[in-house]
Amino acid sequence: MNVVRYRVFALALISVLAVAACGAPIPTGKLQGVVIENPTEKPEFTLTDTEGNPYDFAAETEGKVALLYFGYTYCPDICPTHMAQIAEVLEQYPQLERNVQVVFVSVDPDRDSPERLHEYIKAFHPSFVGLVGTPEELEAAQKAANVPVATIEGEPPDYAINHAAWVIAYAPDGLNHSIYPFGTRQSQWNNDLRILADMG
Amino acid sequence: MGDFTFWCVALDKPWSWQWIAYPGIWLASITPMVLYAIAVRRHPGPIDSRKARFFYAGMIVFWIATDWPLGTLGAGYMASAHMIQFLLYTVGAAPLLMLGTPEWMARGFLDRLRLTRVTEWLGGNYLMCALLYNGILMATHAPGTVEIFRRSQIGSAFMDFAWVIAGFILWLPIISPLGRRPGSAPWGRMVYLFMATAVVAVIPASFLTFSTTPVYALYELAPRVTALTAREDQQIAGIIMKLATVPVVWTTIAVMWFRWAKQEGAMT
Repeated sequence: MNVVRYRVFALALISVLAVAACGAPIPTGKLQGVVIENPTEKPEFTLTDTEGNPYDFAAETEGKVALLYFGYTYCPDICPTHMAQIAEVLEQYPQLERNVQVVFVSVDPDRDSPERLHEYIKAFHPSFVGLVGTPEELEAAQKAANVPVATIEGEPPDYAINHAAWVIAYAPDGLNHSIYPFGTRQSQWNNDLRILADMG
Repeated sequence: MGDFTFWCVALDKPWSWQWIAYPGIWLASITPMVLYAIAVRRHPGPIDSRKARFFYAGMIVFWIATDWPLGTLGAGYMASAHMIQFLLYTVGAAPLLMLGTPEWMARGFLDRLRLTRVTEWLGGNYLMCALLYNGILMATHAPGTVEIFRRSQIGSAFMDFAWVIAGFILWLPIISPLGRRPGSAPWGRMVYLFMATAVVAVIPASFLTFSTTPVYALYELAPRVTALTAREDQQIAGIIMKLATVPVVWTTIAVMWFRWAKQEGAMT
């Protein structure tokens, strides 16, 4: 093989490796979620937790990073992936767990009983809170959180629900500084939860 | 009607044990066997039946590594499945196919592709084989590569074939169907095999095993198939990458060693 072929081969190999090296972003000290330019205040609503007790979202999450998510237990992919991602980060960094409260509001009152929701959410992480409510209460909560109200697609019993598929993050200062769509990496959660926890 | 799938590709839906048909994989698995059988039948001389068994075994390993369920799991759900595929191609299918290919068939095939000379040259160049094998290993396991290639059928097929080629390159100095370079020392081949498989692979394997966050977004964000978390799955992938070649490589080295010792003993 002559020198030219060696150089061509080396160039091809370097090019492939350069493309291949493109991977997850490196934490920069800035929020990596979707930053809200004009942060909004934490919504005021009270629903029912899986133990049957009233849960005032704003009061119960005061002073903590609150991660609010509207989903349902029959969701095939987005909801369990969101919860699994956050749970893995909290499992790995227990110091974050003390300052973070995940609240999963079920927007499927017909199928998600408190018992089913309790079993579902606690399987991800024992600290996660599941909330249920009447259709009217759920609609009010979603409007208060500035997310589209969930709608049913299909016929019972195997219908799907169109819902806001992003996690809303409220810092300890009570403001919504960022949201997290599906596809948020654990490295991004790890970075952002630390930054949000310092916004007090 | 859904999109036609001819090759395993990352699927954006929860895992199901419902079988998926990949006709492209069946074609890629059956065609070489048919052509092999035709070539053997047309060849005037006697054929070692052991070689045929090696070849067909190699194609079966290729098919298992490529088709549902392993191919589908590796394409879009589990990093550990991706790694099992890599191992099956490089230390399973590739050496079996090489052991099963008679010299006349290999020369005829390579002559048509004008690759005979470069293959002969590679077979005697340990350093280049090691560099190429590990270069393909590193490039095809990089996060960007996995993200880009596994999301299209063409890209996914390309990656699978790249691994098969990597396996051929790895084993070329050891079991080339074109015959061994005259004067190549057994100890040189043993050192080459150890160095080619055990040194560079430690880097990505360690990265996968000890990384604090999942490396591959594709597998991190895929619906969970088992109770393993994304990170646990990745750690298992790293362990597989590092340790799974050990039985095959060291068995091969042991065989070479004992053959060499026997030859030396016969000479003295």
